[in-house]
Amino acid sequence: MSLAASVTQPFAAQWSGEKRVLIIVPAYNEAGSLSFLLHSLQSACPGCDVVVIDDGSTDKTRVVAKGLARVVSLPCNLGIGGAVQTGLQIALEEGYQFAVQVDGDGQHPPGEVAKLLAAQCESGCDLVLGTRFRSAGGFKSTATRRLGIRLFSLILSAVCRTRITDPTSGFRVLSRRAIRLLAHRYSEDFPEVEALVQVHRAGLQLLEVPVQMAERVAGKSSIGAVKSVLYMLKVPLAIFMSLLRRHEVGLME
Amino acid sequence: MTEHGQGLVFLITLIIFAAVMGLVLKRRITERFAILWMGISLLLLLGSSLGFRYLFKIAQLFGIPYPPSALFLLVIFGLTLLIIELYAWVSKLNERSRVLAQQVALLRDSLERELTSRGVPPR
Repeated sequence: MSLAASVTQPFAAQWSGEKRVLIIVPAYNEAGSLSFLLHSLQSACPGCDVVVIDDGSTDKTRVVAKGLARVVSLPCNLGIGGAVQTGLQIALEEGYQFAVQVDGDGQHPPGEVAKLLAAQCESGCDLVLGTRFRSAGGFKSTATRRLGIRLFSLILSAVCRTRITDPTSGFRVLSRRAIRLLAHRYSEDFPEVEALVQVHRAGLQLLEVPVQMAERVAGKSSIGAVKSVLYMLKVPLAIFMSLLRRHEVGLME
Repeated sequence: MTEHGQGLVFLITLIIFAAVMGLVLKRRITERFAILWMGISLLLLLGSSLGFRYLFKIAQLFGIPYPPSALFLLVIFGLTLLIIELYAWVSKLNERSRVLAQQVALLRDSLERELTSRGVPPR
């Protein structure tokens, strides 16, 4: 489908029926930002199904989300990896063509989902990644984080042989093939960067699209000082290990 | 018998053996690990009664001037292997509990949807 067609066709008609889209919202104690996010998702992405993965929250996340979207509650906190993977398992099981990850903290504007989906359809790539660093304006994270992201950007661009400026971004669209791959195996902690390597190693195509991001509406980031250090150690190791492993494809039917 | 503190080693080994047996009896350790630990305590038992004369030779062979150091080295090496094995086991359990949690969440979701579609009010 061309970009022109995807713009002219009404959004709801486009993303229902054959091309079913599941928007996965992982949320851990995000009661403060979920209501606004889910309302904007409803108006910005009609025709898409939304599932909130409540990752064992201890606040009112489930109650807040319940009236606005389908809520799947994990009995204990599994971390972002386990939560997103649960969403991917639902997408796989229920035959969705596309899965969109939109983080529960409100950093990913629902208005940009259409742009990612259109890029996905036009390019036919299996993973379309929203980057905050290729457009002017929007929230660009803190200076130290940008440094880390820059490092991973260099590694990932070399490994995947395509320009990737924002590998830690969780704002992404997955095709059916990528859903199948990642629903089966998804890293438990700090999974974003690793998933890109997984997808590339499975022979699937990646594409990066500029989007605007916002600062989180409420709540706090799960990654503090100690975790940041762990992040910088774990992710390169995981990338290195997955490069050493032989191709773990075999999941493409 | 008591030269080089063999008596003490013998006693400690017996205590370990008894402790493992006790834990198995109370079902606090599965047989899988019990066998491992009984093996270890038997090995220590044999080592304590027979091994000391060989210890000096082993130490000499590797150029360790103080024979007990050779013993410590071997024991630490063995314990390290054991800990790595435990880490592997913990990782496996972690993986299993993640899958279980996900399955529980998905089952609960489908149950709720089923109940809702039949008009049963949510609890």
